[in-house]
Amino acid sequence: MSVLEWEVPMVATELPQALTIRDLRKVVTTGFWARRVEILRGVDLTVAEGEVFGLLGPNGAGKTTTLKIVLGLMRPTSGTVGLTLPREQIGYLPENPYFYDYLTGEEFLRFSGRLFELPAEVREARVRDLLNEVGLQEAAGVHLRKYSKGMLQRIGIAQALVNDPSLVLLDEPMTGLDPIGRVEVKSIIEGLRRRGKTVLFNSHILADVAELCTRIAIMKAGVVMWEGPVETALAQSGDLERFFVQQVTA
Amino acid sequence: MSRVFTIALNTFKETIRDRILGVIVLFALAMIVGSVWLGAISLGQAGRMMQDFGLVAVTLFGLVVAVFVGASLVRKEIDKRTVFVLFSKPLGRSEFIVGKFLGLCATLFVVTMGMGVFLFLAVWYVGKSPAPDLLLACLLIYVQLVVVVAVTVLFSTVTSPTLASVLGVCVFIAGQLSSNVLSLTRLGHSPLVKAASWVVFVAVPNLSAVDIKAAVVGEQVSRPAALGLWVGYLAAYCVVVLLLASFVFKRKEF
Repeated sequence: MSVLEWEVPMVATELPQALTIRDLRKVVTTGFWARRVEILRGVDLTVAEGEVFGLLGPNGAGKTTTLKIVLGLMRPTSGTVGLTLPREQIGYLPENPYFYDYLTGEEFLRFSGRLFELPAEVREARVRDLLNEVGLQEAAGVHLRKYSKGMLQRIGIAQALVNDPSLVLLDEPMTGLDPIGRVEVKSIIEGLRRRGKTVLFNSHILADVAELCTRIAIMKAGVVMWEGPVETALAQSGDLERFFVQQVTA
Repeated sequence: MSRVFTIALNTFKETIRDRILGVIVLFALAMIVGSVWLGAISLGQAGRMMQDFGLVAVTLFGLVVAVFVGASLVRKEIDKRTVFVLFSKPLGRSEFIVGKFLGLCATLFVVTMGMGVFLFLAVWYVGKSPAPDLLLACLLIYVQLVVVVAVTVLFSTVTSPTLASVLGVCVFIAGQLSSNVLSLTRLGHSPLVKAASWVVFVAVPNLSAVDIKAAVVGEQVSRPAALGLWVGYLAAYCVVVLLLASFVFKRKEF
């Protein structure tokens, strides 16, 4: 019995699931001759409620596509995505985010809150709290075009949390951050875990994944090569980097 | 509905804060001021020349805003990937399209009526009496431009901003001529030509039906009839076009 076959039923029986993906496939056509490219080739994934889940894989493995299908930004060719939460309970930070540069940080968070139809007083309180949480209270009135990459990443995380979501999807949340920014983002993810939120994030920074995640999945060429607890991966190879390389080069 | 308003308000901010809009409006105001000179060299027709030239300036620069801003509104959100943030939230694709449209319509209203009021004051300032329907003419120019915005937004969901702009201008020009198409078919005898002309007449918005520029400056004796009905027709046309744009946009993947 493979590790994957053993791990998935364990999660399924012990914890309620926030997200279940079964045999997810995505085929796109590219170029003049409409060449078919299979981006996802049967992804199976289970994320339990309250866990911090790391989705790993080399570039082009299909991590972002998987997240986009979960969010309804792309349609699957086949397979199922089971979400137990409504859209109002989900927060998302895209990779290399770009936001409206003519808005200030505060205006952008207010705009995000309005899309969730938060009552005015709740929205204002959330905006204030989040600006403090991501350390941007002093840049609240500055236009986003003047934000550094790290500041954009932090305002991106703030907008993903504006609705106080139960499931948070973060696509490369540490990208572009300096060491202090990384510590702050890790502390935000830790805080979410303590509050019982489910976090699913993609990252290439394996040290952060080892530190934050309870479970991980490693994807390669559109399939999940391995899924299980971080401890199991560490026990097998000593460190996550070695384990990752073993899985993707196998 | 509040999400539509949120997108509309954001689009209004986006377009009003855009420096290009400021440049276009400055050019338009310069042209209206320039019409004072044109009035001065005309023989006893200063007021009429100013209003004629001014209304053309309002139309042209309003068209530039409607077409070029309208064509990039949706595409910019896709290219800059802000759609990822928007559609990960409980925002419908139709709400997005309608919000974008209403936001640009609000900007266009400020621009068109702002230019109209400026023209009115310019005519009054040089000692001539502005035509009573001058501002109504600007409002009806605005109605025509709203239709062009809707059509350009539809084109921008299926093609590039450049092509969408070109097609938007084409629809505006065709809209000025669509009633002529129907008149011309009465001269022909071929049923095929007649049918094709009807298709063109129905598909292309009849913008000339609400054009009162000629009546305002005295080139035409009476105003076109049933203006209210024609405005209603153009509003219905916009609804159909936006429904189509929403349908196309719902099928898009990002």
